[in-house]
Order: sequence, then structure tokens, then C-alpha cells
Amino acid sequence: MEKYLNLLYNLFIVDDRYMLLVNGLIFTLGVTFAAAVIGILLGMLLSIMMIADLRPFKSIKSQKLAFLRNFNPVPKIALVYITVIRGTPTVVQLFILAYVIFVGSLADTPVFVTASLAFGLNSAAYVAEIIRAGIQGLDKGQMEAARALGMSYKLSMRVVVIPQAVKKIMPALVSEFIVLLKETSVVSMIGGVDLTFGAKSIASVTYRAAEPWIVVALIYLALTTIFTYFMRKIEKRLRESD
Amino acid sequence: MIKISNLHKSFGDLHVLKGIDLQVNQGDIIAIIGPSGSGKSTLLHCINKLEEPTEGHIFIDNEDIMSTECNINAVRQKVGMVFQHFNLFPHKKVIENITLAPTLVKKVPMLNAVETAEKLLKKVGLEEKAGVYPNKLSGGQKQRIAIARALAMEPEVILFDEPTSALDPEMIKEVLDVMKDLAKEGMTMLIVTHEMGFARNVANRLLFMDGGKIIEDTDPKTFFENPKSERAKEFLDKVLNK
Repeated sequence: MEKYLNLLYNLFIVDDRYMLLVNGLIFTLGVTFAAAVIGILLGMLLSIMMIADLRPFKSIKSQKLAFLRNFNPVPKIALVYITVIRGTPTVVQLFILAYVIFVGSLADTPVFVTASLAFGLNSAAYVAEIIRAGIQGLDKGQMEAARALGMSYKLSMRVVVIPQAVKKIMPALVSEFIVLLKETSVVSMIGGVDLTFGAKSIASVTYRAAEPWIVVALIYLALTTIFTYFMRKIEKRLRESD
Repeated sequence: MIKISNLHKSFGDLHVLKGIDLQVNQGDIIAIIGPSGSGKSTLLHCINKLEEPTEGHIFIDNEDIMSTECNINAVRQKVGMVFQHFNLFPHKKVIENITLAPTLVKKVPMLNAVETAEKLLKKVGLEEKAGVYPNKLSGGQKQRIAIARALAMEPEVILFDEPTSALDPEMIKEVLDVMKDLAKEGMTMLIVTHEMGFARNVANRLLFMDGGKIIEDTDPKTFFENPKSERAKEFLDKVLNK
């Protein structure tokens, strides 16, 4: 027993090696948080684009060009973005951003920024789908009732549709961010100094892989568990009126 | 008060309303009956433009709601609506369901709106339910709240879209009783219904619709005792189980 404690001491305490994990944790959480913010903001924008109904040619008189009247381009743009992002692996997107786009004068961009952007742009596509499904999945009678009372489209959205949609999409959104947290573990492939980088470093110096990796796994598990726990609590309070 | 001329409505290739002409006067209590698919509900939805009419004119207090200058949100404040599935806002308490539109749309001060709401709750016999969420109510109670919600906007006319069709049989009466009270007070009402007894005893006018047209527009007694058209006779045979 004492021998094993000595080993752990050697692995994590000597030379302050635990700091590799602490710094890695901070990096992981930072990238996840920044990516989540980008994901939510861009995801909201994309979901609004997907339900947008702007027909630039709707007042065209000519019969020949009548097909243009129903041309509604904005949702198509959002759809292309979502298709591309969801149809390619996250790691590939990360590499393209780091080694194809952020080159030349942009090559000095910190890995933190590149990684946050890559995961944020990726997450946005999933968030957009979640929000869109939440809004469009809501009983259409809710919008009708609000409009029938004289509320404008915007007001109906704000006080009737969105508050209900938010409640409905919460669980899906949380699992999206849990996935995001775990996905950031590939960031060391472009030089990010996250949790997995910490484990890798300790393992390569000490020639001992089991403990560092198990500790990292436990840290991820603790993070996702805490996240889920708090979300369940919030959900429960939101569900009061269901 | 409401004047409809040559109203048509198509959903794609489906021609639902085929030329409706109708004049509604102050104090009219009009029951609209007819087989399913005859366009009864669509007609109601066109009157407050929840459905965009394809062709024709609808005047409400001499204002053409098909005109591009018409502020439909202002018109809808004068035209209340009660839905088959109630469409109460599940994330708002009963009292908030009733005060929401008056405070946000008509800018009635909250205190006054609450006072009015309490009066209306008393009127529909549910004053003790002010603080609960709609999910705690029975179908009949929900519909009575929905009527109170419509009344809170002080409409000139209320459109009832099959208000009792989604109710368990033992709850139909409580809703019809509230509607009878409204009728006695002189509220102008258009009621799409399958309640033949109610149509006969409460309405002062009866519209029989079939195939997107108004086939008969007469007083209820005449209609039930002496229907003119073959289609009305057939319909009555079926619904009255003769």
C-alpha cells in the first residue's frame, strides 16, 4: 500500500506534475466554455435563418419568372452550413481550420482561439437543429392563440413560443454540451495543452500510463456528472407547469 | 359588423372555400354546421386572418382586412377566438393567461388587468383557479378559461371553433352554459359546432355549409324542421340518427 502511495506521489506530485492536469483542466474548460458561447450564439442565428421566410422576389409580376416568387434563400444557406458541418468529422474540421485556414499571417493564432472557434462552429450546427426542432415542434395552436389575441409575430415568439421551446430543448442542449466537453479532448492533436495532453506528458515522463489516464477519465466523468446534476435540477424547476 | 364577399381559400390544389358571402350583424349568434371538410373552421380562421384568404374581401367594422394597409393585430383585438384544443399557454398561470394580452397589447395597467381577470374568472365560475397552471385543469375548465382569456380583450365578436369537440361528454354542458350567458348579454358570436341542441336553442341564425359553400342561411327552427336542400336533409339524418 505504502509502495503504491509512493508511486502515486512520484507520478503526480514530484516536479509538480499535477499542474499539467490542472492547467489542462483549465484549458479544456476554457475551450468548452468559449465554444459553447459561440455555438449558442451562432446556433441561434442559424435556427432563425432556418425558419426565416424572406422572399426577395415575391412581388414579381411576370408569369415567366413566377417560380421565383417562392424563392426563399436564407434557410438554404443555413442548411448548407449545417449539412457540411454535420457531414464531416470534428477532427477534420479542426485540422482544416488549424492547417488550411489559420496559416500565413494567421499562423500565430493561439491554439486556444483556433480550437474554440473550430468546436464553436461545429457545435453551432447541432445547436441550430436542436433550437429549430424545439420551435417548430411546439403545438402550432400556441402561436395561433397568441396571434388571435392581437399579439404581433415578434411578441408571440418572445412571450409564448420561445419560453416554451427553451424548456423543451434544455435536455438536448445539455447533452450537446457534454458531447462538446468530451470532443475537445482531441485538441492536443493541433497542439492544445488540455487534460489529455497532461496525461500524455505525465505518461511519457514517468513511463506509467494507467494512473494518468484513469485520473483524466475520472475528471471528465466528474465534470459531466456535475453538469448533468445541475441541469436535472433546473429542468425539474422548469417542469413545474407541465 | 363583418361583411364577407366572394371569399375563396385554397391550400395548394385543395379548394376549401368556394365563394363565401356573409353579413354578420351586431348581436348575431350564428351557428355554423356541416360535414367535416366543408370549410367551417377555415372560414373562421379566415375572418381573423389566421389563414390568409386566397381571394375575396372581408370587412370588419368597414375595414378591409385584405388590404395591405390593414393592421391585422389591431383588428384581432376586436375579434376574439376560442379554439377546439383550448390553446392555453401552459407556461403561464391561469390569471397570467388572461392578463397577458391586455397588458402587453392594449397596455392596460397590470392592476386593472388583474381586476378584470378576476371578474371574468368569477363569471366562468373558476375564481379559485387563478393561481394554478393549466395542466391542473380539466378540459371543460380549460375551455372556460380560454373564453375568459378571449373576453379580457373586450372583443366585439368571438369566433368559436368547435369549442366542445375535444371535451369529455360530461364537461360539454359547463362550457355551453358559459356561452349561453354570453349570448344573453348580446355578444356577437360565430360558432362552429356539432352540438345540434345548442345550435337550435341558442343561435338566432344557422349556416349550413357543404363543399366550401354556404348552402343554407336561415333561422335554426326552420332549418331543423324544414331543411330546404337535399344535402342538409342527408346531414340531419346522419347527425340526428333518424
